[in-house]
Amino acid sequence: MGPLLAVTVALVLADSAVVTLALPAILRHLDTTVGQVAWVLIAFNLVLGLAAVPTAIGFARAQPRVFAAVGIAVFAGASAWCAMAGSIESLVIARCVQALGGALALVGCLELLVAAYGERRGVTAWVTAGVVGTATGPVAGGLLTEAFSWQAIFVVQVPFAVLAVPAALSMSHAAVPAPDRHRPAIRPNLTLALLSAALTAALFLLVLLLVEGWQRSPSTAAVTVSVVPLAALLARPLARVLGPPPEVEVAAGCFLIAGGLAGLGLLPSADLAWTIAPQALVGLGLGLTADRLTAQAMELRLPRAHHAGWTIGARHVGVVVGLAILTPVFTADLQDAQVPAQEAITALVLDAPLLPDDKVKVAEALGRELSAQRGRVPDLHRAFASLDLAPGERPAAARLERDLDEQLERAATRAFRDSFVIGAGLALLALLTVAIPRRRPAR
Amino acid sequence: MTSWLRWTALPVLAVALVAGVLAVQVGHGGGSFEPLHPADPCVEREVTSRAEGIDALTERLVLLGIDGAACRLHINREALTLELAQSDDPTDAQVDALRGGLHDAVHRMKADGTLPPISSFVDEALDNADLNGFLKAAIRALPDSVIDAALKTDDVLDRTIDDLDLRELLANVDDQDDLNRQVEAAVTQAVKDSLVDRLRNLL
Repeated sequence: MGPLLAVTVALVLADSAVVTLALPAILRHLDTTVGQVAWVLIAFNLVLGLAAVPTAIGFARAQPRVFAAVGIAVFAGASAWCAMAGSIESLVIARCVQALGGALALVGCLELLVAAYGERRGVTAWVTAGVVGTATGPVAGGLLTEAFSWQAIFVVQVPFAVLAVPAALSMSHAAVPAPDRHRPAIRPNLTLALLSAALTAALFLLVLLLVEGWQRSPSTAAVTVSVVPLAALLARPLARVLGPPPEVEVAAGCFLIAGGLAGLGLLPSADLAWTIAPQALVGLGLGLTADRLTAQAMELRLPRAHHAGWTIGARHVGVVVGLAILTPVFTADLQDAQVPAQEAITALVLDAPLLPDDKVKVAEALGRELSAQRGRVPDLHRAFASLDLAPGERPAAARLERDLDEQLERAATRAFRDSFVIGAGLALLALLTVAIPRRRPAR
Repeated sequence: MTSWLRWTALPVLAVALVAGVLAVQVGHGGGSFEPLHPADPCVEREVTSRAEGIDALTERLVLLGIDGAACRLHINREALTLELAQSDDPTDAQVDALRGGLHDAVHRMKADGTLPPISSFVDEALDNADLNGFLKAAIRALPDSVIDAALKTDDVLDRTIDDLDLRELLANVDDQDDLNRQVEAAVTQAVKDSLVDRLRNLL
């Protein structure tokens, strides 16, 4: 029953970012705006972040198995509701309910995993499942969106969660009220919050850049961002070989995340290969920090559920803070990128080696397409596909289309730069929280 | 592993990895992957055309003319092109700048010797002109030297630019037939005026 509960923990935490690659599809299907569709992501993280601690406090008065089972059932029901949502408002409300159920499930599953595996292994299983879920969420979401639809992301969660309900109920564990002896661990939770904000930049912005900016398919983007979880897997063996103290491990992890984000802000071209090394840095940093900080925040602190609630709250409020800081920055930068992009396109059309009449045709087709796709990075292929050119002119038109696409990629990449740099700044702030010496206890 | 190594190995490795990645990226142009910057319209640029005859001359004049107009308006030519394309009613300043830019283009082409003699356009112009067959044949029979002596390309172009209703021209830029009709009327008028002036000077 333990593995099923661990999968539930991974599912709930994957939901934090699982819809990132599906946002463009949701935007089109529900005919909404970029600002509204961002709430599909924000609402879940905000509710989970705010509900985690109160849920953990309420947990003291409940049976863990009933608590977990109710949470998982609510999560499953809300996932089904998300899949059937016919409007953005309905989807956002369903996501809020899903997060509430998720908060109950996460806290309940922690106690049940400890009951199943013992204190140390149970907490480790809960933390590891959370890290795996967080890191693989965007990849799974992208692949499901490409293979089926955005609704599939929510549909596949239902059977897992439905199976986990009887699994939770079958666990035998008597609730033992734990004395509230320890205050929340402020430093690791603060570092977790800042790193979550920075990692939002890495995952959320990178997939948006790949799908919207560089016009790559969700599956290509999903495969590309899988570098982060793969690199995260290497972090633990590396730490075992080098054996650093925990503070050094976390500090190095923060620095790697900051460096990786700076690298994403300095991409030399729109070739996917250039994103691999910066993502590997982010992944290594994630692997060195996430489970270590969660363990530090929870280790030997009682009641366990309260401290789990604080770590969940810190992570997801961090994600919301990251989105709140970065969303206005990159949307404004994308808006500002329109003028240089249009000017670059105009320059290339004016100087294109085409006959004058064909230049006018290209300009008219591009104008129609740019007007139709206002507010998004345009797909210029339709404009060129609609042209009726002489065979001799087609190679030059194809070359022009490639050059124009490159200008759009350049404009989009430039528009995301500041947001990645801000993300790097958040990771450096996290590093600061680790590097500041602790106050020595008074003698 | 010694205590010192345990404290330093991972941070040194992290710094080396980050420095290596950033150095490679910056070395390959990271940080300067940006859209094309518009050129200064006041700096002369080479303008070529894949067309021939009157079309090539018109394209070169328009491209150089937009540069000149943008220079007069202190904006780049791409911004001016977009403004003209997106506006139904160009401002007086834009129309004046465009007319001035086109005149500048004629003078620049004359100065650098790229303005073809008028005789090189006669056949093409007559093919499209609404004249009777005998008159067309008579004009074609004239030697090029006579035509070039009677009509100067820069003079005809300057008169055409003055005669053109640029505001109407910009409004009809997507209607090729209407555009041709307007330009043809202005060129015909410019040729007549130029010939009349020439005769007046001879007399």
